Amino acid sequence: MNIIELSRKYGIAVITISLFLILALTTEGFFTERNIRNLLDQQSTILIAASFMTIVIISGNFDISISAIFVVAPLFALNIENATGNVLLSVFGGVGLGIILGAFNAIVVTYFKVNSFIATLATSFMFFGFGYLISDRSLMRPVTDTYQQIARTKFFDITSATWIALITVIIASILLTRTRFGRNVFATGGNQEAARLAGINVPMVQATTFILLGASAALAGIVNSSRSISAQPSDDFSFVFSVLTAVIVGGTSIMGGKGAIWRTVAAAFFLAFMNNGFNLLQVDPLWQRIILGLVIVIAVALDSWSQRKNV
Amino acid sequence: MGRLNINQKTAEALISFKNVSKSFGATKALINCNIDFKMGEIHSLVGENGAGKSTLGKIILGAYKLDSGQMLIEGKESQINSPVQSVNLGLVGISQELSLLPSRTVVDNIAMGRELTSGFFVSSKKTKEKVLSVMNRFNLFLNPDSIVGSLSVAEQQKVEILRALNSNARLIVFDEPTARLASNETEQLHFLVNSLAKTGTTIIYISHFLEEVLSISDRISLLRNGQLIRTNIAKKETKKSLIEGMTGKEEGNLFPKIKPVSKNSETILQVSNLTRKNEFEKISFEIKRGEIVGLSGLVGSGRSELALTIFGDKKPDKGKINFYGKEIKNNSINKSIDMGIAMVPESRRTQGLILARSLIENISLPYLKKFSSIYGVNKKKEKVDVIEACNKTTVKHNGVDFEVQYLSGGNQQKILFAKAAMGKPRLLIADEPTRGVDIGAKKSIYELIAKLSDVGESVLLISSEIEEIIGMSNRVLVMSRGKLSAELEGSAINKKTIMEATFKN
Ligand SMILES: Nc1ncnc2c1ncn2[C@@H]1O[C@H](COP(=O)(O)OP(=O)(O)OP(=O)(O)O)[C@@H](O)[C@H]1O
Ligand SMILES: [Mg+2]
Repeated sequence: MNIIELSRKYGIAVITISLFLILALTTEGFFTERNIRNLLDQQSTILIAASFMTIVIISGNFDISISAIFVVAPLFALNIENATGNVLLSVFGGVGLGIILGAFNAIVVTYFKVNSFIATLATSFMFFGFGYLISDRSLMRPVTDTYQQIARTKFFDITSATWIALITVIIASILLTRTRFGRNVFATGGNQEAARLAGINVPMVQATTFILLGASAALAGIVNSSRSISAQPSDDFSFVFSVLTAVIVGGTSIMGGKGAIWRTVAAAFFLAFMNNGFNLLQVDPLWQRIILGLVIVIAVALDSWSQRKNV
Repeated sequence: MGRLNINQKTAEALISFKNVSKSFGATKALINCNIDFKMGEIHSLVGENGAGKSTLGKIILGAYKLDSGQMLIEGKESQINSPVQSVNLGLVGISQELSLLPSRTVVDNIAMGRELTSGFFVSSKKTKEKVLSVMNRFNLFLNPDSIVGSLSVAEQQKVEILRALNSNARLIVFDEPTARLASNETEQLHFLVNSLAKTGTTIIYISHFLEEVLSISDRISLLRNGQLIRTNIAKKETKKSLIEGMTGKEEGNLFPKIKPVSKNSETILQVSNLTRKNEFEKISFEIKRGEIVGLSGLVGSGRSELALTIFGDKKPDKGKINFYGKEIKNNSINKSIDMGIAMVPESRRTQGLILARSLIENISLPYLKKFSSIYGVNKKKEKVDVIEACNKTTVKHNGVDFEVQYLSGGNQQKILFAKAAMGKPRLLIADEPTRGVDIGAKKSIYELIAKLSDVGESVLLISSEIEEIIGMSNRVLVMSRGKLSAELEGSAINKKTIMEATFKN
């Protein structure tokens, strides 16, 4: 392989590592144990959901509703926790709700054949509504001290949130690259008709991706609420945008059929490093946005330029 | 043979290639090619799969840029950087793979990029009139308001041709235009090509049907592994000389010897009274172990629908399918694959391949179960089997990890075959399995089919090529308008009987 092909394949990793090195060498306070640990901790919720979002996008779909699942699942978990004091049960309950909501998305998309973007935009409103419903429109707090340990326990000096993210990323990567399910995901996103004629149950594959993403978004929400020791109903769509940004900057094709989880992970860190660097260098938040937007445009343009056939 | 209505000595070259080379990574698609295309000539390109024919066409059409050498247009060196530039110069093409907008109408597709306007707005009326006038001029009719996706492959092909004709072309590249056409449509196309050439349009004609090439061309250029072997007047070539030039070997027998099946061989597939509304009705036949049954008929006669129903993709309205003595109830593709039925579908692009994925992933897709355990897919074993399947079907590739989209058309077709063969099926349903493959590959596919039947596997061979049906089948079924119009055996199998049954009402 020559340089061009290598950079085409590993471009996002190279860019991320370069940014890391530049910041480490030039910016006071970046390459410190504390800062790096913080960065890892902060990225955990995005990584948890983004790994499975990558799978959904590769299979040729979109899921906007993860923001709403991210909001409603911890509220449900805290309801259980408040009522029973059982944290484990509350986590299972919250993730279980994520699975049910993911399954609902799956039915709308695969059975009623609604475009997944529209379908999950619509279900977002429902799920946000559930959030207000089960929280009585108010902030909820855990009653046990254990609940905050979900994200804050430290193993080898690293938070459990980071460990959960690491494990999720690994599981998702293995599913995508080493199993039959992963192959079916690529096939479905690459050419549905050919996948069907190869005997793949396409609706089942797509449904599974939505359910897994529902569960992971719920888990991310619970980790987030454990970290902030509270949960609040809202209509906040920002989570899905952070997740999508990581997936797309990573170079996973929104047309489906192409992509990788490691790319999403690299992109998530690229964006986090950038953000962190800005803060350390005290760049005006106004300029941060403009530069962030520009960087996304450049990343996506570079990717599509380098993916183009060498003609 | 050969058509010669232009003065070869004086006709001016519209396009000349001077020492043109083009590589894709390590693949040299064209090496120092010198070739010219004269005004108003029909110039055919022949060569094996991957010889560089489509690449040559695509350079003219602005889809690829040449690496080195020059392309002269009317004697002047020209740089073509984009397809738009080619179209503006009157250089258009009908690609090997259809490239239409399936959800738009026939008119929309034909006029794409060339809509007529009144004032600032697109005028659908004027545009439609223009399209109709083109249809009239070339005697090529289609319902202008049909949605392209609902048309048959042959009709879609017509849309592509009309699109090229709608642009005052000076040169048209036909890349395997007849691979998808029935024989009467092929004749119509030849007539069209001839009349275009008479009006001064240059035709570059790429085809694997050598008789066709010999009868239609003024000149023929032979390519082998990216190199121009020779350009010659069609009259001076024969089928034999072409095959030898293409392959570098002597012509052998195209069809292998097909062993007869014994009368008391076991019946493996029994179809009785199978009916699907508006597609086919009351189809009954059986296939014996090791038998090759040819299924002939026009495109649209219900052949492919019947095949897909047997394969489990469509549910029959009435009738029964028995496989190895068991009735298949609630058929599904998955069940069929598990039982040992494999299929090479009619359209490799839309039904067969996942273009952006590797050879491995494409070929093993239906049989992943075989390589999977709780530890996931055993990639080593998978790779070994895939490579074996590729070798068996003589796929020419740069490695099984490369994406399928970079293979030449014929090699893509072979991938479908490798995929089917890998499952060691008990029944193979092959719908136009040799479409767009060169003589050498055809031969190896035929040999593979013969080998399958030797070891007791059965084949249902659907084809529009009568020679193929005759050369390969133990028994022939003919379909016409959704019904079985003939079942032929032994000496009853010949061109005349098949044609008669094909057009029977
Ligand atoms: N875009 C591409 N990227 C990489 N390799 C390519 C590309 N296009 C063609 N090739 C390679 O170049 C060679 C010539 O391909 P080309 O499509 O011109 O063959 P062809 O003569 O048209 O064959 P066929 O009869 O199978 O259509 C093949 O080895 C093919 O794999
Ligand atoms: Mg070709």
